[in-house]
Amino acid sequence: MAFKTRITKPAEAKPWYGDLPVESLYTMGIAGEKFFRTLKDKGKIIGSRCDKCDYVYVPPKMYCERCFEKLDKTVIVGLVGTLNSFTYVYIDVDGNPLPKPEIVGLINLDGASTNLMHRLGECKMDDLCIGMRVEAVLKPAKQRTGSINDIKYFRTTKKK
Amino acid sequence: MGRRVAVVGAGMTKFVRRAQETGKELAWEAAKAALDSCGMTLDQIDCVVLGTAPDTFDGVHMKGEYLADGAGAWGKPYMRSYVGGGTGVFCPIHGWYHLASGHFDTCLVVCEEKMSSYQPHPQGAFLTIFDHTTERPLKPNLLWIFALEMNRYMTTYGFNKEDIARVAVKNKKNALDHPAAQIPEQYTIEDILNSEVLAWPVQRLDVSPVSDGAVALVMANEHVARRVTSKPVWVEGVGWALDTAYWTNRDLCYPRYVEVAARMAYRMAGITDPAHEIHVAEPYDPFDYKELHHMEGLMLCERGEAPIITAEGKTQRDGELPICPSGGLLGVGNPIAAAGLMKVAEIFWQLRGEAGKRQIARKAKHGLAQAWGDLMQVGTVIVLGI
Repeated sequence: MAFKTRITKPAEAKPWYGDLPVESLYTMGIAGEKFFRTLKDKGKIIGSRCDKCDYVYVPPKMYCERCFEKLDKTVIVGLVGTLNSFTYVYIDVDGNPLPKPEIVGLINLDGASTNLMHRLGECKMDDLCIGMRVEAVLKPAKQRTGSINDIKYFRTTKKK
Repeated sequence: MGRRVAVVGAGMTKFVRRAQETGKELAWEAAKAALDSCGMTLDQIDCVVLGTAPDTFDGVHMKGEYLADGAGAWGKPYMRSYVGGGTGVFCPIHGWYHLASGHFDTCLVVCEEKMSSYQPHPQGAFLTIFDHTTERPLKPNLLWIFALEMNRYMTTYGFNKEDIARVAVKNKKNALDHPAAQIPEQYTIEDILNSEVLAWPVQRLDVSPVSDGAVALVMANEHVARRVTSKPVWVEGVGWALDTAYWTNRDLCYPRYVEVAARMAYRMAGITDPAHEIHVAEPYDPFDYKELHHMEGLMLCERGEAPIITAEGKTQRDGELPICPSGGLLGVGNPIAAAGLMKVAEIFWQLRGEAGKRQIARKAKHGLAQAWGDLMQVGTVIVLGI
């Protein structure tokens, strides 16, 4: 094995610029549209239940990936759940430092078998641990557009 | 199980941050080196398998077609395999069934990636792999997945960052002896722990680099292999499996899809006690914790035991179970599909005793390479033996 490196600095290779311009207009799907309409209009999070597999998908799915049956049973899961993992993010998608670190977590909503990825807010870094109880903070009804961002973030549940 | 299939030649380019060569040229360099290594020419090749990860990296739509001539496919049956990061280990499996079926006698397997074309940083290419409705509006970064998984793994078993950093130290040091390595370095655990935090607990030196490069193998049926070389390395087992398509719903502290793939490969290879019957392994290590994660999924140790045997030194090149003697993705580099095939090439060289300064101390008859990919739910495993 003999190896050569022809250039030592990336700028030494003569480049030319090009792009692949692509834009898309997606549909939310049969199950997805129901989820986002319920979130926008009622401020509730729904899932679909597979009785055969004893499994609740949140967001809902049109079919069960396990048994392949059609899912038409909708269940309302709460806005409260358990934090299954979290991370403090310091860089953006282009590798640049973020002005303020973001916190992202995986949340297992009560009644769901699945995890939802979302931002965490109103919390300090040192306060978080896996297994904590968290709740969804929704945007006010008038500001909701039917997007996953209608959930502003999750925060740790207030002690009562 | 079809006809016996062997790997008879391997070649690769140097892995670099920015190659002057186009993707086609990288593919040609690796393919030519593999053919030269076993004294074969393109006219002796019956079919070609190409592996390359998302089209967005090279910025070329239909990359398989674009790379075809560099991979030696002119006038030949040609197929591109794609299972994301798992591609590099899936391609020789694809080559295996071309040959095991008896339909072809020889196959050239080429994997290429040129990530440096993507601007400003290839991380951006991953934005569009997330679900377009439920996840992309959150503007997710691929690092999030790894950080969430690493935190879950560490918390489940009570490991700290030091336990994980040992893998980065070992692999980057191993890479010092690899002539094609991009970022070999002698680091201390403190260096890893003091590197920039990207998405806690993931730090700069926990992560493999962005790379350009290509790797190729020549595979052949038994009757050809025995004529080509006195040291064929047999494909003893292959396995691949998929976990749930929704990455959030996997067990984040145990890679079940790797276990399913490994069991398939072990069954075919007649291996019942992998921790003792596999003598050298190249599990996929794009992040240091993933080597540990995958060792457990491959059943090379108990769950939660990988950091412990790493600390004991068992996974060093002179240890009982050398892991990533090449230097892995953390040290040699990570041109996605090519990185996986580099691992298969390393096992080929180790079993033939041709790994030079990287040669492991113990005798090895069976070795394994594994990769991981798609949206983090694909496991691909190949067991090679002499």
